[in-house]
Amino acid sequence: MSEASLRGTVAIIGIGQSPVGKVPGRSPLWLAADAARKAIADAGLEKSQIDGVLSSHAFASPFHRFSVAFSEYFGLQPTFSNTLQVSGATAATMFNIGAAAIVAGLADNLLIVAADSLMTGLTPDLALRSLTESRDQQYEMPFGIPVANTFAMTAHRHMKEFGTTAEQLAEVAVIHRSHAARTPGAQQTKPITVEEVLDSGMVTTPYHKLDCSLISDGGAAFVLTSAARAKALGTAKPIYILGAGECYTHEHIFLMPSLTTTGAVESSRKAYRMAGYSPRDMHTAGVYDCFTGTVIMMLEDLGFCSKGEGGRFATSGEITYRGRIPINTHGGLLSFAHPGMPGSLFHFHEVVAQLRGQCGERQIAGAELALVHSLGAGFATNATTILGTENTL
Amino acid sequence: MSAAADVMRKPLPQPDADTALFWQGLRQGKLLLQHCADCEHVQYYQQAICRACGSEKLVHRAASGRGKVHSFSVVHRAPGPAFKADVPYAVLLVELDEGPRMISTYTGGSPEEVTFDMDVVLVCEEVGERVTLPRFRRA
Repeated sequence: MSEASLRGTVAIIGIGQSPVGKVPGRSPLWLAADAARKAIADAGLEKSQIDGVLSSHAFASPFHRFSVAFSEYFGLQPTFSNTLQVSGATAATMFNIGAAAIVAGLADNLLIVAADSLMTGLTPDLALRSLTESRDQQYEMPFGIPVANTFAMTAHRHMKEFGTTAEQLAEVAVIHRSHAARTPGAQQTKPITVEEVLDSGMVTTPYHKLDCSLISDGGAAFVLTSAARAKALGTAKPIYILGAGECYTHEHIFLMPSLTTTGAVESSRKAYRMAGYSPRDMHTAGVYDCFTGTVIMMLEDLGFCSKGEGGRFATSGEITYRGRIPINTHGGLLSFAHPGMPGSLFHFHEVVAQLRGQCGERQIAGAELALVHSLGAGFATNATTILGTENTL
Repeated sequence: MSAAADVMRKPLPQPDADTALFWQGLRQGKLLLQHCADCEHVQYYQQAICRACGSEKLVHRAASGRGKVHSFSVVHRAPGPAFKADVPYAVLLVELDEGPRMISTYTGGSPEEVTFDMDVVLVCEEVGERVTLPRFRRA
């Protein structure tokens, strides 16, 4: 194990998000700039004080170097910049790598920013690319594999091995919708029932339409700085990075070591160890929810319940407000917004807002410690970040 | 090729240096697996080194063609226009008797009859003049 640690060295001092859902007439670069402007203002900084930029790719603004294109658009000439790509896990890696860059002296005030317009911004060409690009051209694509398929096969096997039911999957969607109903600006807020999920039309078994996350426009941004500079700036409530861990177990679904136990076990174990906390210490969590079954498997692999218990745990009230670990209180990718790779940034936005006590009627009383887990590519990529208030240092 | 024509066409594998022999084998009805002469590891995904020990002494042997359905998902909403006429179809994650797993699709029956751990056998299906895909039917 590494002796070095990021624990408590870097703070999130600014957060911002663009409008989400259907945002016509706005490019990913504008959505990113809108979120960035808000995050920098929230941090109490001037744009000129930002010297580092980390981003992920955007399908609807297909620059090879989105972070560089964004800086040009926004009027920045940063001295540290990169565009990261590990699919859905990219969000948490931006925090992990961003924190490491600050500790190493590569940047002082770092902007994390990502946005995309999957709902209104894709030309037919780009839509096709987004459908097929991420699967293997020789071993997977010739068989007609939708994006949902790899995740569907893991959930299906989980049902076979542990007796997880279609109703339990559906209940996860219902809970996320009820959370989104309390979130101003969420894309989908109309309450749904288990029956409606089961009747919403099969996409790829066991996933119905409402078991799948949304397709959205939107973006989010964050300002990170060293703990010492946060103090010098007099930031009202800095939120500290306490732990970070990642794990990459395979590229192809047919080389995934186990369909029902993922790299999230290792990535979260590393993050908990660095933070010095355990799953039961967390007050809330942002859990990547591209599909309902993904949430059930992650509740197990992140240590919130034991292996095979995810379905029962998720449907016994434990992941909502009065439960043991309220997750995705904004509504998640399933109901708040899912603009692709930036999607997991909204989990970070919500968790930071919870730790600052800014969530209004969604607020979890006394929230001081939280975990965010981002993942992608059929569980090929996993990244975990643990955050806490000053009291948790 | 225009994007409009592209979208209607099913993606066919473009063999490369690592996979040319594999796709040739399928045209002759053989699913070639790589067997490591040093550590006996067997791999389906074709590459020039053994994933277990790094050896370059890999030998092609035809698989028995027998396997079990480790997992599956029946596609009802096609990933693009090219697959629209095929739905519903079952995508399979087959565990071959030799050990490796592979992605394929079910053939020779209704997708609804696919079950976990069902025994399946290889069917080499020509999908064009130059390409044969490995699919599976019930054993």
